[in-house]
Amino acid sequence: MSNFLQLLFNGLGIGAIYALVSLGFVLLIRAASVVNFGQGEFSMLGAYLLVVFFNIFGINYYVSMALSIVIMAGFGVIFAYTTYWPLRFRGGLPVIISTIGASIFLENLVLVLYGPSSVQIDGLFDADGIQIGDVFLATQYLSIIVIATILVVLQYLVFEKTLLGKKLQATSQDKEMASLLGIPVVFMILITFAYSSAMGGLAGMLVAPLLFVSVNMAGIIALKAFAANIIGGYGSIPGAILGGLALGVIETMGASYISVPYKDAFAFAMLLLFLMVRPQGLFGEKISEKA
Amino acid sequence: MQITRRGALLSAVTTFAIIGRARAADTIKIGVVTPLTGAVAEPGRIQLNSTRLAAAKINAAGGILGKQIELLIEDDASSNPGAVLAFSRLAQNQDIVGFIGSIRSTQMNAMAPDMLKLGKPVMFGGTDPTLTHQGNPWLFRCRPNDSYSARVLTNFCLTSLKLKKVALVHSTDAFGTGGKNAMLENLTKAGVTPVLVQGYTNNQPDFTPVVQAVKQSGADVLTSYFTNEPDCAIFARQLRQLGVRIPWVGSPSIISPVTTGLAKNALYGTYGIADFVEDSNPTAKAFANAYRAEHKETPDSGWTYDGMTVLAKAINDAKSTEPAKIREAILSIKKFAGVEGEFNFDKNGDGLHGYNIVSNNNGKIDYKEHIEFTD
Repeated sequence: MSNFLQLLFNGLGIGAIYALVSLGFVLLIRAASVVNFGQGEFSMLGAYLLVVFFNIFGINYYVSMALSIVIMAGFGVIFAYTTYWPLRFRGGLPVIISTIGASIFLENLVLVLYGPSSVQIDGLFDADGIQIGDVFLATQYLSIIVIATILVVLQYLVFEKTLLGKKLQATSQDKEMASLLGIPVVFMILITFAYSSAMGGLAGMLVAPLLFVSVNMAGIIALKAFAANIIGGYGSIPGAILGGLALGVIETMGASYISVPYKDAFAFAMLLLFLMVRPQGLFGEKISEKA
Repeated sequence: MQITRRGALLSAVTTFAIIGRARAADTIKIGVVTPLTGAVAEPGRIQLNSTRLAAAKINAAGGILGKQIELLIEDDASSNPGAVLAFSRLAQNQDIVGFIGSIRSTQMNAMAPDMLKLGKPVMFGGTDPTLTHQGNPWLFRCRPNDSYSARVLTNFCLTSLKLKKVALVHSTDAFGTGGKNAMLENLTKAGVTPVLVQGYTNNQPDFTPVVQAVKQSGADVLTSYFTNEPDCAIFARQLRQLGVRIPWVGSPSIISPVTTGLAKNALYGTYGIADFVEDSNPTAKAFANAYRAEHKETPDSGWTYDGMTVLAKAINDAKSTEPAKIREAILSIKKFAGVEGEFNFDKNGDGLHGYNIVSNNNGKIDYKEHIEFTD
């Protein structure tokens, strides 16, 4: 039983990471209809900024995090202007290719600036974790679960209950119509990019103490987060969260009870299963609405 | 007349060849293929420094056959095509009498056909056992090959630690699977069935299932073949967090400065195997001190120093630069004190037949023992 609980907790922990990165994807899909394959690199950049501020400049950990988030938000605007803006009337595919290009560029930029070695960074709290019976709850996983929950609630409230959220949604669904209604479309899109980038950066900072900071730290996570997004329902916020958590738990359980080397296969088998049986995902009704 | 690129290249090569001829009598030329750029440029720099250190020492003592050593260096750009190109450039220089090759088996495999064609001795560091077992008589290894790592791991667990409930965690890539197979072979020979053999795929963000498997296996000693350093560090931390405290003996990645730097106290008290350990013998100590005096840093490898020294000794012993005679002289080197251990070349061209065991003593890597095999 303790084995099961341990696997469940760590599965939820890693699932919460997928969920956080997945949220970044969802935002851009909803507000700008952009699938951003540079989302993983946002996380990587966020983690490197934390390394620069905390490890190198020795600034307080929480201040370093705040600074990094602000810079990442600014970076999101630059990313939007360079990667999305010139191609905004060309449909989805050119923008996707452009984000893939940007992600390769960012990876290599950091490689040149920082080198290939991984960097260790402290966690949010000094305590390693809490031991309850035979089960160990690692502090960083706990923090990730808590922060992910808070962000999900906030994001849900912003999108569904505020005027800003409605404007963002309107922008996503029909830019021309939104513009006719007096919604500043460009501003809305820039806000989304800034928020998505800051969010991706935060996810990177949260996983950095677990995975260490390296150029390709977020590669497999971004891929799983995207899968979580499809499983949960393309563009759905609760879907991204549930999809991420389910993916984390299923791959951890599958690895433990069936086969460790096939761990990644469980995640992607689940993706295939959903694409075949329920392509709209768990919470997929928004798609029919948009079409 | 239009000067084409090919024409310019040709005349440059001819000029160099002529210069080379003219100076041929003055020096003994050794070709060096080493990574100066790319992913492994950093260890490449240390290896080149070590080669230079050995050459300088030999030159100060009178050189080879009364002539000074001249190193001709080509960058392999940390890649297989780069290595092949680098070697082919050096191969054109007929005055080169021997080579220092690569520490990476994949690049040695890529260059091996050209090395066979050229027929001059190459000292190298790649540890894939097959390199010296595929009928290429010109490859001479200056590090223990991978077939010894599993023997040393097994030997240390069963004989030194006297623990027989062995768990094995390995990467499912070529290196990890090769290590696993060699471990199983050795354990079976010793009449021990491992309580757990657990593979994992590289670059995992979470090792909970693997750790839980180790925890529930009832093992009293853990052995491992981790390929990537961050994987080893993440596993180490989760292993400790989930309360597994049994002795752990790992393949070289467990004591690499990158892993120990990332995992910190999670790796304290573990054991690892290493080919170069400063405190393992007086030659290694002297080399490390000389290196530190010149470069203000501690070297993490010494095989190129050995490669240069062994090659120089063989040419001096042979009293000739003829490849066949040098080969014969290398193969007859026995009980020669090198930085990486005692060189006893076998008929395949393997110079070393053992590993050092080291322990991680609160972050400091301490030499524990050397396990040598004579068969």
